[in-house]
Amino acid sequence: MIVCVAVVGHQNNPLYIQSFTDADDALKLHHIVHCSLDVVDERVNNPKKSGPTLNETFLGLLYPTENYKVYGYLTNTKVKFILVTTDLDVRDADVRNFFRRFHAAYVDAVSNPFHVPGKKITSKTFAETVSTIVKSFGLSSAG
Amino acid sequence: MAREVSESCVDSLLTEMVSTYCNRFYANKPDLAARSIEAIGYQVGHQLSERYTMDRPRFSDHLEAIKFICKDFWSELFKKQIDNLKTNHRGTFVLQDSQFRWLSRVSVDLSENGDVSQDNPEATAENKAAQVTSMHLYFPCGIIRGALSNLGIPCAVSADISNLPACSFVVRIKA
Repeated sequence: MIVCVAVVGHQNNPLYIQSFTDADDALKLHHIVHCSLDVVDERVNNPKKSGPTLNETFLGLLYPTENYKVYGYLTNTKVKFILVTTDLDVRDADVRNFFRRFHAAYVDAVSNPFHVPGKKITSKTFAETVSTIVKSFGLSSAG
Repeated sequence: MAREVSESCVDSLLTEMVSTYCNRFYANKPDLAARSIEAIGYQVGHQLSERYTMDRPRFSDHLEAIKFICKDFWSELFKKQIDNLKTNHRGTFVLQDSQFRWLSRVSVDLSENGDVSQDNPEATAENKAAQVTSMHLYFPCGIIRGALSNLGIPCAVSADISNLPACSFVVRIKA
């Protein structure tokens, strides 16, 4: 189950953070997202030099904490997407698929002429699209 | 689910935008008009680069990003690629388009000078043409600058129209 998704700009400024749990630990999730930014920077600056994955957008599992797994994705414009999930067995393909759809939703939200680049994303359509993607992520990996 | 718009609508919108900014908003201040048009182009380029780099791996250096602008980005915008790319390997790139789409229909109204006849020197007509077309070039310059800035490359872009309809864009990367 996905508990949190976040979009972070290229100066590590938060553009969109949304948690999907009923529990009141939103702050803890924000903290996890914040810590994962360091891991992203480290992955990007010290690549493993393994050929085809050198400049990929999907960064994979960033680090596992006690109950959560954190996945990262870095776009060409240095915008980071962070996904925090509690699922124990998550398929790589599912996460990649999630990020692809999330990226498409993000591009649509940013193409809004009233959106100011660098400020938070306030589009309701984006929020709805994201919750749809999150809901279908749970369904597809349950099967 | 993308909706499409006819190209003539886009052409008309651009022509009207340049005309409004030059003649109505900043009637006697061509510099301010140029800056506003370029700022609009910057935002458009910013958003377009977000969209067109979606499925690509990250660029490893400046040259890759410029090549992306010349090939994929230009094809999305103008249905053709940049015809010639030159560089001095020290941060300056010249992108040459031999048939710039947005300038292909520019015409100059010669009747403004009273009774201009065929043997009037070409110089006046050329000056007018250069003046009018240069205003139209601020928007694509802004687009290129916005796209490159979003890819992490701050730069300054200027255009050169020494021989229409060919057009060169000079990109100077800020060190």
